[in-house]
Amino acid sequence: MAGRGSPMILSYSLPCLLGLPLLGVVAIALGAPARRTALWVSVLNCVPAFLAFGVVLRQGEILFGPEVTSIREVFPVQFRLAMDGLSLPLVLLTLVVTLSAVGVARAEVKRAKEYFLCLLLIGLGALGAFLSVDLFYFFSFHEVALIPSFLLIGIWGQGDRTGAAWRMTLYLMLGSLILLLGLIGLVWSAPETARTLDWRVLSETLRANPIRAENQFWLAGLLLVGFGTLVSLVPFHSWAPGGYASAPAPAAMLHAGVLKKFGLYGLLRLALPMTPLGWKEISWIIGVMLAANILYLGFASLAQRDFRWLLGFSSAMHMGTVFLGLIGGTVLGLGGALVLMVGHGFSAALGFAVAGEIGNRTGTTWMQDLGGLAQRAPKLWFYLLVAGMASIGLPGMANFAGEIMIFFGAWSAHPVLVGIGAWGVVLSSIAMLRAIRGISTGACTAALVTHQTADLNGVKEVWPFALLTFFLFAIGFIPNLILGPARPVLERILQP
Amino acid sequence: MSGWFCPEVLLVLAGVALILADSLVADGRKGWLPKLALVISFALLGWTFWGAGQPMPTSWGNLFVTDGLSLVFQPFFVLCLVGVTFMSVRYPMGKEEVVRAEFLALPFFSTAGLCLLASARDFLAIFVALELVAISLYLLAAFHRSRAASLEAGMKLLVMGGLSTGFLVMGIAWLYAATGSTDFSKILLDQAGRPASLAFLLAVGLILTGLAFKIAAVPFHAWAPDVYEGAPTPITSFLAIASKAAGFVLLLRVFGLGAFALDSVAVVFRPVLLTLGIATVTLGTLAALPQRNLKRYLAYSGIAHAGYMLLAFGTLGEAGMGTLVGYLWVYLLSSFPVFIFILEMERVHGSADLRHLDGLGQRDPGVALGLALCFLSMAGLPPLLGFSAKLSVFTTLWNAGEVPGLVVGVVMAVVGLGFYLMPIRAMYWEREADSIPAQRFPSFLVWILLLAGFFQLLLGLQPRPLVRLVERSLAPTSSSLFPEK
Repeated sequence: MAGRGSPMILSYSLPCLLGLPLLGVVAIALGAPARRTALWVSVLNCVPAFLAFGVVLRQGEILFGPEVTSIREVFPVQFRLAMDGLSLPLVLLTLVVTLSAVGVARAEVKRAKEYFLCLLLIGLGALGAFLSVDLFYFFSFHEVALIPSFLLIGIWGQGDRTGAAWRMTLYLMLGSLILLLGLIGLVWSAPETARTLDWRVLSETLRANPIRAENQFWLAGLLLVGFGTLVSLVPFHSWAPGGYASAPAPAAMLHAGVLKKFGLYGLLRLALPMTPLGWKEISWIIGVMLAANILYLGFASLAQRDFRWLLGFSSAMHMGTVFLGLIGGTVLGLGGALVLMVGHGFSAALGFAVAGEIGNRTGTTWMQDLGGLAQRAPKLWFYLLVAGMASIGLPGMANFAGEIMIFFGAWSAHPVLVGIGAWGVVLSSIAMLRAIRGISTGACTAALVTHQTADLNGVKEVWPFALLTFFLFAIGFIPNLILGPARPVLERILQP
Repeated sequence: MSGWFCPEVLLVLAGVALILADSLVADGRKGWLPKLALVISFALLGWTFWGAGQPMPTSWGNLFVTDGLSLVFQPFFVLCLVGVTFMSVRYPMGKEEVVRAEFLALPFFSTAGLCLLASARDFLAIFVALELVAISLYLLAAFHRSRAASLEAGMKLLVMGGLSTGFLVMGIAWLYAATGSTDFSKILLDQAGRPASLAFLLAVGLILTGLAFKIAAVPFHAWAPDVYEGAPTPITSFLAIASKAAGFVLLLRVFGLGAFALDSVAVVFRPVLLTLGIATVTLGTLAALPQRNLKRYLAYSGIAHAGYMLLAFGTLGEAGMGTLVGYLWVYLLSSFPVFIFILEMERVHGSADLRHLDGLGQRDPGVALGLALCFLSMAGLPPLLGFSAKLSVFTTLWNAGEVPGLVVGVVMAVVGLGFYLMPIRAMYWEREADSIPAQRFPSFLVWILLLAGFFQLLLGLQPRPLVRLVERSLAPTSSSLFPEK
């Protein structure tokens, strides 16, 4: 079903977006050259994406799939896809990060076939989750990414890879199942004749027939714990820093950059519009949690000696600021949350990519062992600087745009939390600047001196970094690229 | 057509024919017997799917009924028979012992008993059918006489099976004392609308205990891992799937549709069933974690699955019964391929130790992929088939407001993912095993496992056929699985 006026054929760009990576997975499994296929698929996937983006920008949304049915059908699940102003930036994020993650991955990695297969599957899972309208697929697509991450960390990880992989997988499974209960609860709270698995219809139904207030409280709580676990909200965060630190760089990029945003996206899509009263009621709990995210994880990141762990902690920490936008209760705050989600996706991916390259070249990411990067590898150092500055929230980067909007948006409702959020900026500045100083100045690491190509070698190694940097700046300077199409959707979320 | 062509009769005839053929043919020419058994079992499968639906002969004294449940479970049991026969043909009995016709024929008798169970509507019929199943299984479990473990398994099964039958018979006796009948509908009429007497409740409790042994529910589960490990693998699969399903079908017959579908019973036994379910899920899942033998591992996995089914069924509503029926089919489809793999693994490696899986992902990618999909389906990971089953269990519990069962179910599903990931970890993470066996897996195994894995995915995305099956199973009367429309 195409939207009004747009040619029917364009709506097929949505299944194409999922079909191409799937095709890539099958091709790689059957023996196509792994990295080249993954790369081609990721590049080609931009074509249907641009078509779909065009329709969304013109009409506000694009739909694909059969008509909605009631849950009283024998099997109510339907393959329906949609993209609107809210999912557009996340789809863009997924495509770009997947492309650069594949770009950063080396073709000569051991068991390359399975490696690239897993990477594509994670990207596919994230894309599917952001595009699905049916709650069954919405949930399932996210789970598709679970096993590939388990394998990626377990087989190609470093450090305590076994522990990290188990912890991450089981933790995320627990979060998903709690989320599942919340979803079951949402669907069954609708009046019996109007139950459906389609969240677009369901949210309208629940708007017309609000859930009883005390039920909303529990449902919002279940959704918060479920999605919150996936987003690494304190106290459900302990899988995240270690998991990212142990994962191979492309996996960490995809996970921290893209997959984590699924939890926030879910809260924006489901919890806020469907359980508005419950969400208000638990917002003080969220306030405590996000303050813990910012302060506790912020201080913890100060104590890190390993650059990967530092990135892991700081990536989990910034989720606190996003949550501040979600409980601010203003369109400005929600918009800021969206911009920060996307900006953080790019900056976290860039950070892990840089850390991966440093690790490849020197064999370590311990900051006390590193030094002299600026001298020996100026290009790599430049991208380290970009990732660090974005994470701190330097004006001009997407993260700054997001944070400032969140702070303004949440000011009237939660001034104290805004103060804590600002303190978080200070904490992450200290951590990041110390790390950058340690890595880039001082005596040059021995491995860097002897390494043949200490710096990024030509365009074929630079482009993934440049791509991410481009989007960080583009969104930083013109956040309306994201906010323009998203604004009506965000306004609708807050409408009673 | 006459009702004498019902699957039960045909199964018994086929079993007798196999034994006769064995005794009539000269010793040197028996090579085709296993193939004959396989062909017959396939033909019977086709017959139960498309030809059956004949009402039982009325002369059988109202002991049996042909309804949705029997129609849905006859193919289930005959499908198990096909699998078992297929595996028996390949079972390495050892050089000195050829695969004897009894090993092929006894599952036919057992399956006949299972099909009778699915259509029984009288406790006498249940008892006779259950003994037909059980006695054949005692023999089969101990069939590999040169292995002590097999004899031990047979012995344990005999003792524990006898004990459970004892409970069952005692329950039936009390039931007769309390109500004056063993006929489901008479009991139902007799007890409807009045408070249950103590004798009646005692009878229900004893019968439930007897059935709890069959489904290996905690605390009546202790026999299962030992027997599963010792019995010949084809028989293990039969015990783990068909025999367990029989227990559940009886629960459906007795508590869901038949004699005990009473409010007075539900008040007392709903908490009992749910508690059994919680205990079974918890113990099955936690005890599976340290297992290093795939057969024991599957035994505990089966116990955990039984727990989920009990949790859903324990809500004693129509949704719970439907969930149970669907879950049994899912259990069959996801665990039978694994048993077939175990048999081949025993042929190649000599044992079912989990460490033989090390490095399988690189050695045999197709087999590993199929196995992984089956295991993940059992773990209930979307979009695989097992997710639909688990989702259905959780939805049922949610709607019944059973919070403790729901919480335990969710937590154990997470732990369960942990133990289903163990073989996957072994196949993909671990280094190549120290000694690579000279013998390879037969090529058909790849296709069976890939097909099974593909089915997990396909039916997981579109479980409509299964949902139809569930709907039919709870219909009061039914003439055919596939009605003409």
